[in-house]
Amino acid sequence: MRFAAKRCGVQFSPPSIVLIYEHTETKKVRKRIIPVRNFSKYSDYSMAAERLKNNPRHRDYLEGVSQSQLEKLHIILRDHMQGFSLEHSLSSFCLDPDEDLNKLDDEELARKKGQMDELFEKNRRHKDDPDFVYNLEVDFTKTTLEKCSWDEESDDGF
Amino acid sequence: MAVDAGSIPELDQKKYDADEQVKIICLGDSAVGKSKLMERFLMDEYRPQQLSTYALTLYKHTATVGNKTIAVDFWDTAGQERFQNMHPSYYHKAHACIMVFDVQRKLTYKNLANWYKELREYRPEIPCCVVANKIDADMKVTQRSFNFGKKQGLPFYFVSAADGTNVVKMFRDMIKRAVEYKQNPSDFMDEVMQELEYCKLTCFHTFHII
Repeated sequence: MRFAAKRCGVQFSPPSIVLIYEHTETKKVRKRIIPVRNFSKYSDYSMAAERLKNNPRHRDYLEGVSQSQLEKLHIILRDHMQGFSLEHSLSSFCLDPDEDLNKLDDEELARKKGQMDELFEKNRRHKDDPDFVYNLEVDFTKTTLEKCSWDEESDDGF
Repeated sequence: MAVDAGSIPELDQKKYDADEQVKIICLGDSAVGKSKLMERFLMDEYRPQQLSTYALTLYKHTATVGNKTIAVDFWDTAGQERFQNMHPSYYHKAHACIMVFDVQRKLTYKNLANWYKELREYRPEIPCCVVANKIDADMKVTQRSFNFGKKQGLPFYFVSAADGTNVVKMFRDMIKRAVEYKQNPSDFMDEVMQELEYCKLTCFHTFHII
């Protein structure tokens, strides 16, 4: 990876994705503003995100930005075009651990996944990382001690 | 109009009868990280085939078990309820099952009982395991014992698709078990069940199409 993505955000006017990245060789930190073209309040956020991720001019820069995050940014852009506030968009990403996500439609689910992806990307080990181990095995059998409270008030099978 | 038991016209599930082919299904609630686990295991090798209509992503992989080359199809399924009617075709001819939950969401753990019950209605004997994903979010969960797998006699894995912990081991174990099962199906019940399953699927489809 030539470019390590540091932060990625959105700008409403003109509609753009803003990327802060570090050049891995020179260690220089730069900002790249990527205009989001042909995107309206009726557009498909998922296809637009995929198109941007595969765009030959930008894909090298966006390698470290997940599809889910790009989808999330496009959802924010589209919400804005539809007249929703940023607060509205952000609250739709909020995670409630007790919510049954099986009941959501594709877009609602994409909002939640985009949120979960932040932690995923934060903890992610990339194959280019110097300490990357493909088959990383950790034996937890010796440390397992406590009973899990999730098994209490048990019904069938737990 | 009668439809083949495979039930997904784009996919010929008869190929899973061949010796060197196995089908492994990945089940669990929405957003527990099933696709992320697949991608971590396959890295750049994967070229998934999206079948959005069926809420299904297919990942092809080639593995060596013993001295044999095995073609593995992973069926990554959707947890959303509106795809419930697709489940029979997921289970059809599967040789192993990976059941995933999210250690940060109790509901996804509790729902394992439903996934497992349904799995066993269709595939009473295939190898299955329980996977606790996202341990990177809170390593303390690895000090707890989750009883569901134990009670059902299923292997249990603490994994993280993000940092890679135990992902490759889990997939390799399951490929091996799928191949073993295929070479030596536990008993004839499975064949009987296949027949029954065929009926169920056919009935389901007739119903579905009308």
